[in-house]
Amino acid sequence: MDTTNIRCAIDIGQKFIDYYYGLINNAKPLSPAYVTNNDTYKQAGHVASDICVNGLVLGTPEEFEKVLEKSRTWTNCPSDRVVRYVVESFNSQVLNSDYQFAASRELVDIHGKNDGVRMMLTLSVSGTVYYGVEKHARENTNYMVKKHFNDVFILVPNWEVIGRANMSSNKAAAGRRYIIVSHTHRAFDA
Amino acid sequence: MAPPNGPRGGSSGPRSSPRTSTARGGGISKRRSTARTDRDGDVSMAPAAGSAPTGPSARGSGRSRASRAPRSSRLSQNIRNHIADKTTLKILGLKSSKAVNNKDGGLRNLLDFIERKSKDKNIVLSRGIIDGDYVWIKVNKEDAPVIMRLNGFTYAGASLTIEETNEPMPTAASKVSREAAETKAKLLSVLSSRYNDVGKILDLSALGADPILGNLGTFDSQSLAQKSFRALVHLVGSEYRSPEEKREAIPAVSLARNDITDVDQVFTLAYSLPHLRRLDLTGNKLDNFSALSKWKHEFRHLEELHLTGNPVTTQPNYVAEIMSWFPSLQILDGQQVRTPAEAAEAMRAANPQPIPEFPSNLRDGDAGIAGAFIGAFFDLYDRDRAALASQFYDMESTFSLTAPDNNSRDHSWRAYTQYSRNLQKLGPRNQLGVDRLYVGGPQIAQVWTKLPVTRHPPLSEGDAWLVDCHTFNGLADPTNSSLPAMGLMINIHASFEEADAAHNHFGVRKFSRNFILGPSMPGAPHPYRVISDQLTLHGWKPQAVASVAAPVAAPVAAPAAVPVAAATSVPVVAPAAPVIAPVIAPVIAPVPTQISPGAASIDDATKAQMIQELSRLTGMTSEYSQLCLSGAADWNWDMALKSFEELKAALPAEAFSAS
Repeated sequence: MDTTNIRCAIDIGQKFIDYYYGLINNAKPLSPAYVTNNDTYKQAGHVASDICVNGLVLGTPEEFEKVLEKSRTWTNCPSDRVVRYVVESFNSQVLNSDYQFAASRELVDIHGKNDGVRMMLTLSVSGTVYYGVEKHARENTNYMVKKHFNDVFILVPNWEVIGRANMSSNKAAAGRRYIIVSHTHRAFDA
Repeated sequence: MAPPNGPRGGSSGPRSSPRTSTARGGGISKRRSTARTDRDGDVSMAPAAGSAPTGPSARGSGRSRASRAPRSSRLSQNIRNHIADKTTLKILGLKSSKAVNNKDGGLRNLLDFIERKSKDKNIVLSRGIIDGDYVWIKVNKEDAPVIMRLNGFTYAGASLTIEETNEPMPTAASKVSREAAETKAKLLSVLSSRYNDVGKILDLSALGADPILGNLGTFDSQSLAQKSFRALVHLVGSEYRSPEEKREAIPAVSLARNDITDVDQVFTLAYSLPHLRRLDLTGNKLDNFSALSKWKHEFRHLEELHLTGNPVTTQPNYVAEIMSWFPSLQILDGQQVRTPAEAAEAMRAANPQPIPEFPSNLRDGDAGIAGAFIGAFFDLYDRDRAALASQFYDMESTFSLTAPDNNSRDHSWRAYTQYSRNLQKLGPRNQLGVDRLYVGGPQIAQVWTKLPVTRHPPLSEGDAWLVDCHTFNGLADPTNSSLPAMGLMINIHASFEEADAAHNHFGVRKFSRNFILGPSMPGAPHPYRVISDQLTLHGWKPQAVASVAAPVAAPVAAPAAVPVAAATSVPVVAPAAPVIAPVIAPVIAPVPTQISPGAASIDDATKAQMIQELSRLTGMTSEYSQLCLSGAADWNWDMALKSFEELKAALPAEAFSAS
């Protein structure tokens, strides 16, 4: 297997995690992270992202947002308590180094099979989700409920972002270079 | 000959100092700026004060500065102190001197005195320590005779006795810990006298009247009283081996009649005994809600609270406000304010509700590939890993395992850490991120044979497995067709028994394993292969050797073609237990791949899961849960829950299951 692809998959994984869990922890919309609402993929006829959360299939990223929101705002939720996902480990592997779906001819020509760009990846992320943790606390020691979680993503290139130049300096854009076609989430007792 | 007396408090500078011209004649005279030379004969720009040059004092004593060694000699002395042989001196007399009333017990002045008296040798003493009647100090062996000459000197009205000793010098920590141990013993006696073993009540009421605490000076000031309370509460917490044991032992505490004006003064109780069920604050001085507000989100299991005799009880909405702060509260000031059922509901509303959890979700099509693969895979993984790799893995397959990042000192992870590809821990530029991605069946088999032997539960134990899987498009077709190929993502969560006889570790480990299956190369043993295999290891629960060793089978060594360096070290724990290779998909029937919002897209299996989960959450029977979901909610989870909340008061008793 090409080393460039492996290294790029690691880098992509790290940037995606920073971006994605940043969205979740700040209660930001998750839609941009999924293929479902991506114009390029939609126009090319790609199916919606497969989202399965704790065994329940959700049709859209917005449904997942609602599930997350519900877990953040219980009835007597104190204003200074939040839900925080903390990533403790991740692993990424290349599934297809010659991914072309919905890519423009230009991008296929520019980025070869071993350039670490046109890749379908799988990303396995494990960590702890703390419910009711103090909002401004640096340590997550004072929480109300704790669960371990495991997220498995299948990612594909976000052609619109990849097609733009000078993305390296933009952290958020670096995290959006790949988007989710499959997301399987499981939480379990610590 | 009588020993010479040391200087008394006000005198400074050695008596034997040769006087310079600036001081000659006595009286007050303006210091003249005279050029002088240092030891090397160079001109020194520093001002002179008699013949004793000034220098910074190690202990910062202004008075002693004029008499202390110059910087250069102090520095060289300090260096000598570090490299020289040491001996310990015990000095008696400080306790009976006038200096004993100084802030530091007179230690600093005594050391300055000794330095001044030994100035011919330019001795710089390290920090001494007062322990009992003695001052202990470590000095260079060559300096000891000079200091010993001061034996019998009078210091601040007391005669000094200096002796060399082989006893170990007490440390500041040991001294403190001795004093602390005495205080701790007294506080423990207070606690034991106030603990009612029968009623399991820790009675900390009227602490101000406690004779032991009074003798300790606990109530000399408010801050001291708070510190003492914190110490008491800390001791309560530290006397039990586990939080569960503490919870069982102390369900009730009384803080009645302690003149508490704000619970902030006793806040640590909430940290030390967060699961308290009964709390008595009767007869304190809590004026308003603000005085209680620090405990607003604490004591979430508190069932009984007494505030009688506090002005706060006259506040408007007193009962409702206090009830909203303590969700489990059932009795307030002796009156029942909630039934147990109402308390349980309030508790549910007060706590975060993690994302609901449903059983396995298998969407692998009618062929049931996932079930067949999982059954065959883990059977072979437990028995013959090399054979397994050759069946399902080809030269493009990849495998990696991830162990947590906090395992450096936890030996239960030792067998895995050298293979762990935790990229969060390794960082994006670490070469190990590349090296620990194992590519190709032979390399993967080689790594597997070095991992501890395992035994996974049979798939027939449905509760032991959580499996989610679905198909997706976009893999490369190995026959080089231009069309993308279908893949199957299988995500598994379960536990396996593990035996690492080499390191004497036996137990049960939780794991997650994620497979991506795709079409095989032509001529492969199976129509599908493993493209990606990611194993993530979680918690470890040790077990007794006997209970684990028997069922765990050793993997068969890899074939000769595959170099297996550690194959011989893989322990054969027991003969392979008979394992029936299951071929039946577990638990849930497959559902359509294409998902769209709305009831039409929710298959029967998912509906069954939703019914089960709603029953669990609400206590309703399956029939009523189904009615709730299928009615106006139209299988919308949030709508169903909302509908339940609105209608639950009107629901008949039979709507709820007896349990």
